[in-house]
Amino acid sequence: MSKLLKSSNLSRIGINLFIGLLAVFILGPLLWLGVHAFAKDWHYPNLYPSGLSLRWWSKVFLDSALATAIKNSLIISPIVVVVSMFICLPAAYAAGRMNFFGRKAFMITLFSANSFPKIGLFAAIATLYYALNLMGTFVGVVIIQLLGTIIYMTWIPAAAFAAVPKNLEEAARDAGASKFTVFRTITLRLAMPGILVAIVMSFLASFDEAQGTYLVGAPGIFTMPTEMYSLVQNYPIQVAAVFSILLAIPSVLLLGLARKHIMGGQLAEGFQLK
Amino acid sequence: MISLRSKKNKEGSLTTKGEGPSLLGLGLSLPPFLLVLVFVGLPILIGLTFSLGFTTGPNRVIAIIGQQIHKKNHWWGTLGAYNDVIHDSRFLGDLSLTIFVTVLSTTLVLLLALSIALYQRLIGGRKASVLVTLSIVPLFVPVVISAWAIHTFYGGDGFMRTLFSHFGINFPTLTSTPSAIVIGTVWTSLPFAILMISSGLQAIPDALIESAKDCGASSLRVIANILIPLAKTPIIIAASFTSIGILGSFTIPLFLGPNQPTMLGVEISNFFGAYNRPQQSLVMAFIVFAVASGIAFMYVRSNIKSAKESGRL
Repeated sequence: MSKLLKSSNLSRIGINLFIGLLAVFILGPLLWLGVHAFAKDWHYPNLYPSGLSLRWWSKVFLDSALATAIKNSLIISPIVVVVSMFICLPAAYAAGRMNFFGRKAFMITLFSANSFPKIGLFAAIATLYYALNLMGTFVGVVIIQLLGTIIYMTWIPAAAFAAVPKNLEEAARDAGASKFTVFRTITLRLAMPGILVAIVMSFLASFDEAQGTYLVGAPGIFTMPTEMYSLVQNYPIQVAAVFSILLAIPSVLLLGLARKHIMGGQLAEGFQLK
Repeated sequence: MISLRSKKNKEGSLTTKGEGPSLLGLGLSLPPFLLVLVFVGLPILIGLTFSLGFTTGPNRVIAIIGQQIHKKNHWWGTLGAYNDVIHDSRFLGDLSLTIFVTVLSTTLVLLLALSIALYQRLIGGRKASVLVTLSIVPLFVPVVISAWAIHTFYGGDGFMRTLFSHFGINFPTLTSTPSAIVIGTVWTSLPFAILMISSGLQAIPDALIESAKDCGASSLRVIANILIPLAKTPIIIAASFTSIGILGSFTIPLFLGPNQPTMLGVEISNFFGAYNRPQQSLVMAFIVFAVASGIAFMYVRSNIKSAKESGRL
């Protein structure tokens, strides 16, 4: 980190105030909701709940609908990510390393698909789903969630593949390594941080997807986010709070895994069309 | 990082780089392309014909179920559903709210992201890392949770009202107002903008900033004449993705906004489901898409321009 400007006392107070406000803005709502998961009852305008309790947790775990939603989410999202890797990673390699006719058009098509309002797309997709008998099916839900992962799984790895220095690969080839060995030990290894970020972002996109999943999956297949929609309307706030904490666990774990690379610019690099 | 970017052959020339023929590249990129074509392109195309009053073929079922369907009366269709929507007073309210929220939230996100990223670039240190880390947090929170958390935080018996009531201040209930939508969209959009802009600013060499300072340039001049112009492309990318995302947002306005007027994302869903007017619902989707395409065009143009300037195209 470079210190290119000197800070005065006044600006030091200002920045501390700014950090405090940002912390309340970002973390406040999460903490407020999180504390509710352990609260017995909470009446306005008390600053504290009337007591602590774990009974909302047992309510969630003993409710079979909620447990099924958790199970569905934990099955569907990994499948979506793996399918997305199979479909997109070869394309990402091609877009990053090869010049082929329509390469730019390919990248822009993926992008414009992303700028159609999702909710409108889901309304339009219903027609096709009825025709293909995908409504209410597991495959239908996987495809809906897959659509949201494509942009991450192609763009970010494409930038990562493009950034692997050619001369490293050539040197390894000169030293007698086979094409496959070079790909495995150099190209893939150097592009790994980008692929990791793509996997994390795709998992989150799939895990969070609620609208399309609801439209296609309900009433047969519920995932955690779609269950959350009915939860907030039909249960006390504490149950929604417990469910939110459970829903946030995978994301927080992934945060620990990929934080360094995401903040190191892998995500940002992927979104610059080249 | 950007400095690691490999040099590429000139675009458009079909020369291969010793890594296989160009046909292979085309072949490898087909699977996601086909997926998007079948499950995004095709439904949008079918939806377009339906919005224009083509009620046969794949649109037969939905035309029977839906209400207030306009059937085509010219060879190219009819603008009946478009007419309905444009003359619907609710739609005009929704559209103005949607544009208002999109413009205001995008501006706020960019200002916030720029100031944090500039602080990180020019001063740095632990406080800068704390600011950036804080702003990234929403990236890892599912939007359903964030919407609900913000709903309870600013609600009638939420934290803000609870806290201020102890000082005798009656803090307004923000939930179910446009302000809450703006809070929610800024909250969820901040991480991406920070990541883009901060990575763009980090790529600018120290030497450039230092030499400008040696020549007597003030910090403000450095920011206005060096940092922002050089990070223009990432800033435009952040602006376009943020505004397109907000334009089509659904969960945030559903949980946080007023019932009427609401943002178009929610109204599209209402018209499709609750009101059973699928044709009008699709018309609104196409109107949102038209606005988003305008923004997307800026994004693509800015990318191509920056690629040309750096000699990559």
